[in-house]
Amino acid sequence: MKTQGWLVSNPTVRHRIDVGLRTGLAAFGGYGLALLGAAALAAGLPFDFKPDAVSLAVMLGFLLHLTAVLWAFAAATLLRAALGLAVPAAFFGLWLLSLHYR
Amino acid sequence: MTTFDQARPLRQSMSWLHTWSGLTLGWLLFAVYVTGTLSYFRNEITFWMQPELHRAQVVAPERIAYDRALALLAREAPDAQQWTITLPGARNPTLGLSWQSPPAENRQPGAARERPANREGARGEEGARENRGRDRGAATRERPGADGEGARRENRERVQAATRERPSADGEESAIDDVEPLEATRQAEANPPQRQAGPQRQQQGGGGHRGPRLVLDPASGETLEGRATAGGNFLYRFHFELYGMDRIWGRWIVGIATMFMFVALVSGVIVHRRIFKDFFTFRPGKGKRSWLDGHNASSVLSLPFHLIITFSGLVLFGHMMMPTAFQSAYQGNFLAYREAMRARMPQSETPRPSGERAPLTDLAALVAAAQQTWGGKPVGSIAITLPGDRNAVVELRQMGFPSLTNGRNVPALRFNGVTGERLATPALPEPGAVQAIGSALNLLHRGFFATPVPRWLLFLSGVGGSLMIASGLLVWSVARARKTSGAARAPWGHRLVEVLNIASIAGLMVAIAVHFWANRLIPADWPARADWEIRAFFIAWAVTFVHAIARRPKAAWVEQLACAGGLSALLPLINAATGGLALPGSIGRGLGLLAGFDLCALAIGAGLLFAAYKVRRHAPPARFAASGDPATEPGAPLREAAEEAA
Repeated sequence: MKTQGWLVSNPTVRHRIDVGLRTGLAAFGGYGLALLGAAALAAGLPFDFKPDAVSLAVMLGFLLHLTAVLWAFAAATLLRAALGLAVPAAFFGLWLLSLHYR
Repeated sequence: MTTFDQARPLRQSMSWLHTWSGLTLGWLLFAVYVTGTLSYFRNEITFWMQPELHRAQVVAPERIAYDRALALLAREAPDAQQWTITLPGARNPTLGLSWQSPPAENRQPGAARERPANREGARGEEGARENRGRDRGAATRERPGADGEGARRENRERVQAATRERPSADGEESAIDDVEPLEATRQAEANPPQRQAGPQRQQQGGGGHRGPRLVLDPASGETLEGRATAGGNFLYRFHFELYGMDRIWGRWIVGIATMFMFVALVSGVIVHRRIFKDFFTFRPGKGKRSWLDGHNASSVLSLPFHLIITFSGLVLFGHMMMPTAFQSAYQGNFLAYREAMRARMPQSETPRPSGERAPLTDLAALVAAAQQTWGGKPVGSIAITLPGDRNAVVELRQMGFPSLTNGRNVPALRFNGVTGERLATPALPEPGAVQAIGSALNLLHRGFFATPVPRWLLFLSGVGGSLMIASGLLVWSVARARKTSGAARAPWGHRLVEVLNIASIAGLMVAIAVHFWANRLIPADWPARADWEIRAFFIAWAVTFVHAIARRPKAAWVEQLACAGGLSALLPLINAATGGLALPGSIGRGLGLLAGFDLCALAIGAGLLFAAYKVRRHAPPARFAASGDPATEPGAPLREAAEEAA
């Protein structure tokens, strides 16, 4: 794997790939997490008045995205950055499924 | 995957994030911030842009020519379901008249809830808005072009042209509708109704889009014909949906830019350990460090404002950017969500027409009674349902939004339209915690306050935010200019940023000033003059880009700043010279909104001229004397990041 060796050894290229992957995680992973979280919260938050759950879910969705972006760049390794998005995404996904099959 | 890891200290990665999330869309954000800041005064701007209205006299509410207004309404709209009179206030000295046709027969009953006067938002255009909501509910069922509603709706949806739009006196028009989802709008647009030959009134003075169709001098009752203008609404629309593209695209672009802003703000806060100390630090004349000090001060000074305005901006786009919340809770049926929101609002009895005619009660007495009930708070609008009928009902609504957390409810009083007897008014429901937060975010973003002081504070914070973005963009450039000053030629990326900085900061100021000049120089009866005002804005802006490319950076800065400053500072003069009320007159007659515009133009012009003077005098020192430990300087991480990235 000559190519990989070059990628790893060249610090500029390595940095660019690192940044590119983190940016992709932040933008798309973060947004996906936010959409999933907003869906689960809107359906799952226990409010008597349903629009309240929706409004709060929207607000929390944006905060989720913000947190995800910060995390994607703050995490020490790419693996941790990805796991930091995947774990809450799995949580919200399961919550949504449990609501669906309730 | 882990092969590419580059572990970095938290502050370093956050400062990288801050730099690049701020720079990438910084120029767009600057334009959004500046036009959004001006939008706090869009009613005042629109009023300034219609000099024909400047001779309106300021009168006490009891001396308003109600009889003349009612006579005009009876002549223009004898069969209307509802008349609405918008009373003059601090943000608009004129009297506005609008009306709403009776419900069309082809509309199915129950297509939407009937309410005599909606209490959901503002004064003035409530009729139009009510109608609009109903149009949307019924949009799919309605035959296109079936009635006069069609032409009006089409007019309402032609928002970008925005030509006849004249906001209500308080500017809280359509608190919810402006940025509400476009789906329902699209349904209406998919079946474009035939344009009616239409009453001529709709072409003048307001009409069409929510605003009143007739504008009167409140003292004499004389009709005032304002020129067609986009008014402050162009800048307002631009700040959240740009211009010249599909509205949904503009909104997405601004929404994404807002998310960048949010990230830049919070990462900037994380970078700044010494946030409080930095606020008191300003070292002028030290090149990049001064710009950083300025950036820090303008950011920290109104940090709560920046955070709230950014977050609330996102929440206002919530239906568009977080659609899954609505989909999972309402299975994608947005109208069901709206209906649930609506159902919570107080419902009044809808009066039924009796068929018998009866004269209307004395409005001045009702206004006096309402003001007394409200402890002197002014009446914003009067809605008369079933005018001329024995069962007429008059509803008076308070001016402005008195409650931050219960924004959708404006206090209102209902009276029997013939006897003047007080009718039961449904109680305003107390909002839950979530609704209160949502309402506060909405009202803070839009500056809907009854008194001018909070609006001024928001405006000044917006100015601070604009300076924050501008100085941040300059920090990036200045840091690199310093490093590459020895090189024969700056890299093209630096040159690009420089040109974009010049044309999107100074150039935008030129374009806005040209927009106001065009308002006065294009003849009042010119065809499509409102569109030309907008074109003048974009042509001027494009010219500043060419100019920034053609000239050396320093010369470009000086010339554009001086040009913008001169044009702004001369606005009071051109106002006086082209039929507007001159500054001494507006101060003398107590037209604070007009004097405010002229004085602001003077102040901004002076500021820009001063900036041009400073740039011209500026001689960059060959080398900055580094003092102290560079790592503890404010902004050190920023520079590290910048240098690393460069």
